[in-house]
Amino acid sequence: MNRSSRPLQRGNGPGRGKGLSRGAGSDTVAAYLFIAPAIIGFTVFVGYPLIRSFYLALTKYNGLADPVFVGLGNFRRLFGGDPAFWPALRATGYLVVLYVPLSLILGLALAMFCNQRFRGVRIVRTLAYLPVVLPAVATITLWKFILNPEVGLLNTVLDRLGLPTSLWLQSPSMSMPSVVLMMLWGVGGTMIIFLAALQSVPTELYEAAKVDGAGPWSAFIRITLPTISPIILLQVILQTTAALQTFNQPKILTNGGPGFSTNVLMLSIYNNGFPNLGRIPQLGYASAQVWVLFIVIIAVIALAAKFTSLWTYSDNTPD
Amino acid sequence: MKTKLIGATLACAGLLTACGGSDSGASDGPVTVTVMTWESTQTNAVIKKALAEFKDDNIKVELLDTPSGQYGDKLSSLTQAKKLPDLFWCGNDTEQQYTQQGLLVDWSSKLKDSSDFGADKFVPSAIANWTTADGQMGGLPSLMNTYGVWYNADAFTAAGVTIPKAGWTWDDMYGAAAKLTGKNGAKYGLVADQLTGPDGPFTMSMYSVSAGGAPFTDDVNHPTKAEADAKYTEGVQKLTDAVKSGSVAPPGYDASNAQSLFAAGKVPMMFGGQWLAAGFQVDKPKVKYGFVPFPQVTTPATLYDSVGICTPQYTKNQDSTFKVLQYLNTKVWDAVLPESPVAPPAYTPAQASYFDALTKAEQTTVVDTVKADLAAEKTVGVRFTTQWAQQVGDLTTAEYQPIISGKKPITNLPAYVEKINGLIKSGG
Repeated sequence: MNRSSRPLQRGNGPGRGKGLSRGAGSDTVAAYLFIAPAIIGFTVFVGYPLIRSFYLALTKYNGLADPVFVGLGNFRRLFGGDPAFWPALRATGYLVVLYVPLSLILGLALAMFCNQRFRGVRIVRTLAYLPVVLPAVATITLWKFILNPEVGLLNTVLDRLGLPTSLWLQSPSMSMPSVVLMMLWGVGGTMIIFLAALQSVPTELYEAAKVDGAGPWSAFIRITLPTISPIILLQVILQTTAALQTFNQPKILTNGGPGFSTNVLMLSIYNNGFPNLGRIPQLGYASAQVWVLFIVIIAVIALAAKFTSLWTYSDNTPD
Repeated sequence: MKTKLIGATLACAGLLTACGGSDSGASDGPVTVTVMTWESTQTNAVIKKALAEFKDDNIKVELLDTPSGQYGDKLSSLTQAKKLPDLFWCGNDTEQQYTQQGLLVDWSSKLKDSSDFGADKFVPSAIANWTTADGQMGGLPSLMNTYGVWYNADAFTAAGVTIPKAGWTWDDMYGAAAKLTGKNGAKYGLVADQLTGPDGPFTMSMYSVSAGGAPFTDDVNHPTKAEADAKYTEGVQKLTDAVKSGSVAPPGYDASNAQSLFAAGKVPMMFGGQWLAAGFQVDKPKVKYGFVPFPQVTTPATLYDSVGICTPQYTKNQDSTFKVLQYLNTKVWDAVLPESPVAPPAYTPAQASYFDALTKAEQTTVVDTVKADLAAEKTVGVRFTTQWAQQVGDLTTAEYQPIISGKKPITNLPAYVEKINGLIKSGG
């Protein structure tokens, strides 16, 4: 007798099967009703735009006239003729390489500091997280003033201290580090997740290590890091995805300049799809760029997950 | 159930219709003509007051309450939704591009039919540039933008440099910039975003044209070629040298604060438009300043640019809309410009109010320079108005600006021009 025949047999019983069958049916309907908003939302706001954007990527479309099918023409222009595309990819890669490790290291360091017991720790945690809840556009604009090379606060302070100043956002070599510096202002978001992870590490592990004579560094390397490694993996994926989609900071701080030094892919897509007044949108071309970014994100996340899982700690012990 | 569904559909349709700016009202009442500007709240209030004086029992004018920020995004969205108002502020490039797409009403025949509002009453270069290759006019120019060099007279005097005046040369300008650099907290002697930014190659045409050479392109609206002749290359070399010496702000310099830095005495000389005069009139910089025409090599040459008002093709009452358009161009500026003299009207009989306001405010150098610019025989367009103009901007960032910065040799200039010619040929 196989398992699937059991319910049928039960259903043959007097008065039971019929009721159960009706109950199961209404449960199924209820289940579909409950997930319907999510399915409808996904279809309307993700599925359809995804399919539509793929179609538009194969067309020349300016939003004013009907799309004209050009096959892979947009992709040929992307990889062969557009002087802004490869610099945009390079700028995006540079931002990821600078921002992701720094945000993880600083976030973890801040979390370790805030995980200690000392007077005023709650205030420190609040202050560290405060930039995350402040309006992004306001803080970015403030940073733009701080980094102004002529009248900005940072150069004024450096100058008073007799230290070398910089052009910051107006220097092709310093513009991206300046953007990343500003982005690290919001490292409290990374910190708060690390802090939650640190507080879930069993204290008896540290106590046992202390008894065995382990110092703080050994405890960090051999207990803390392995235990929170799943959270580190999560953070790597979250931060990489966020970095690949960076938009606000370069848009407000530099608008992609000087040259193409901070013209990240998201900004390039925006400028092609929604150009300045007087320019015609290139929505088909921007859609092609969107698909390149989409594929890059999927590839990077898959690689990150693949390689990070090799050293990620997982508790496989049976309960 | 069916009745409810139909009712709901009608209600939704009614809401959507109400959102549209170009609805023209009931068929038996006065028609409504909607107007959208990119002006500030204060200027819009003055325009609204002036529009209230428009008397026609069959026409009601409604100025849409739209914040001035992100006008480009707004225009783009309304265009795609086919909800553009009957009259909207537009640039020459928008007018050219939209007309080519068949999106705008062609007013050329209306101008031909009118004696007091004919083409001869407008600044000739504006009419020429607002006409498409096939003779259409998808909008009418409303205000002229003239350009020149703003200078801090106090800084010039303190540095012992002669105050610039019409007829000064490019060498005079770069020489002054070198002497002013580093004085009184000025990092650069000259900030010239129009020369070093994305429109730089077009602005540089002033040098070659003034020297008797060829402009960067034969026509910004309908180009057939781009070129960099010997005179043009000479102009680029001089700019590159000035940037290298540190006296001119390099490409990438954030010019968005240049106006306030100029007012604070930190920028002694900058390229800019006449519209800054209106701001200076309110903010009153502490330094003594002036406005002078662009330098020349042998003959005067300047930039051409103007803005205007366009009407979408689907506007229902074109005759009523044209009456309001005519009122805007002939009467409204008389009310707006005395309070905020931003630009001279393209309709020449309306220019008196602009110049009177500036004269009253003792902005005599601005009056002289604007008049000289409007009368200039040699003008060059500020940028391409074509649909592929965005691609030219990217090429300029990749190829032209590195030449100005000294990162690429000037011998790369022909290769850059060749790529622009490729775009012209392929049409983007």
